[in-house]
Amino acid sequence: MQSESTISAGEIPVSEAARYNESLHEDTTAKLFLVSSITYFFIVGIVALMIAAKFVWPELLGTVQYLTYGRLRPLHVNGMLFGWLLAADMGLMYYVVPRLCGVKLWSEKLGVATAALWNFIILGAVVSTIMGWNQGWEYAELPMFLDVLVVIAWVMFGANIFMTVANRKYTQMYVTIWYCLGTILWTAFVYLTGNFAALFATGVNQANLNWMYVHNAVGLIFTPVGLAIAYYFIPKVSNSPLHSHKLSMIGFWSLAFVYVWTGAHHMIHGPISQWLQTIAIVFSVMLLVPVWAVVYNFFATMRGQWDQMRDNVPLKFLMSGVVFYLLTCFQGPMHSLRSVNAIVSKTDWIPGHAHMAVLGAFSFFAIAGCYYVVPRIFRRKLYSDSLANWSFWLFLIGGVGFFVTLWLGGFWQGWQWNNPAIPFIDTVIALQPVWIVRFFSGVLMFGGIATFAYNILATMVGSGTESTKMAAATA
Amino acid sequence: MRDYSYPSVYFAYFYFFLLLVGALFFFFRSVKHGYWGEHAEDAKYRMLEDDEPHSEERSEPARREL
Repeated sequence: MQSESTISAGEIPVSEAARYNESLHEDTTAKLFLVSSITYFFIVGIVALMIAAKFVWPELLGTVQYLTYGRLRPLHVNGMLFGWLLAADMGLMYYVVPRLCGVKLWSEKLGVATAALWNFIILGAVVSTIMGWNQGWEYAELPMFLDVLVVIAWVMFGANIFMTVANRKYTQMYVTIWYCLGTILWTAFVYLTGNFAALFATGVNQANLNWMYVHNAVGLIFTPVGLAIAYYFIPKVSNSPLHSHKLSMIGFWSLAFVYVWTGAHHMIHGPISQWLQTIAIVFSVMLLVPVWAVVYNFFATMRGQWDQMRDNVPLKFLMSGVVFYLLTCFQGPMHSLRSVNAIVSKTDWIPGHAHMAVLGAFSFFAIAGCYYVVPRIFRRKLYSDSLANWSFWLFLIGGVGFFVTLWLGGFWQGWQWNNPAIPFIDTVIALQPVWIVRFFSGVLMFGGIATFAYNILATMVGSGTESTKMAAATA
Repeated sequence: MRDYSYPSVYFAYFYFFLLLVGALFFFFRSVKHGYWGEHAEDAKYRMLEDDEPHSEERSEPARREL
């Protein structure tokens, strides 16, 4: 038995464990979302590897239409965004919000129905992207009937969470609930704009709406729900109160004000008004305000607690995610500047930046949440602390290799594209070494996914014995 | 296909106006509920306690006044 001072990954503090045997929460919905999202993480991770391999060996998988880059790439993007990350975030919200409100989830049945519908949507997305039934819009590839189902599922999710919050015991809501409610409202707005309103515009206005959607899919969906998770789990996992709740509210309101205006920075030097480009740049730079408010708060929370990073795997994921969040949110404003944008726009820099946000920051937060939550709701000790530690280092090393390689490669690519004397095909050939490193970094990251998924699923199915159950841990 | 660009822009203005009104409403409500006053930090301590039935007596001071 471990002492309380060396709490390992996902294990309930021994002194607290008995309480979880008399939980008032059913957590069925949270379980369903987490099981399915982690499964999709693994499956779509394989697709990610196939795509990375195609950069190095373009003839790979031949000319089978279902396995071409054009089919696999939307499958990877939609699978990771909606199958893994958003579903995992929803599962964690179903766990976190009732606890912060001091009441049960409003309707577990509605939650289970939401989980079933969400899985139907994801399976439909897999079929439609492989079959090439694609609307052709970045992040909005899914066919219309699936878009409608997403809206229905989101209304079901939102109603459940809002009603839970409405029934809460406490007037004051912890910042996590603010971010969660913000996510629900902003997602509705962003998703409807990107998947429905954009269809009623044409030409450059349509492109502008699409980029507003793409940017805010990250900025107003994954950022607020990711921060909701980080604000909950960093204090919980480190057992330290948040540095300043007031500062967290300033971060929330400034993010709410700033983020929505930045989408047009994807069209800098494009055929849109200069004033619109300038507004997008100004608001992009203003993003540093909410970002610093968030990051300072997390680092100040950890003051005097850094020694926990030695053996607390969820905390490793969380604080590495905070560093990646800071880096990616520094990159964003900088490459929205006209001079930098002229080099990096449309290059490999962009997937390097996007992966650091979605994988390095928000997936790290979600992974930490899974390591913390799954042993608690399944009331079992984590299958393997060692495997959890391995998953962290595989993700970290693979991730850093991937991000840095693509930033450097992107800059190099941009400089070449800015030189009209270099034929385009030569710039493609020159990037081969970059893509080889990208592939092997991807192999490491997939190792992280596999160890994480195996560890969590083994914990869920109870590959441990009675002796590993949490109840036994308290004996 | 008809171009709905201008109606969509007016709709966007209207939507942003709604969001602004909503943001101001919730901001002033947050002032009323003490998020910026002397009890601004209560929530961060309460979240560290679990909310199971037996813990009710421990979190009573931070509980809403009904």
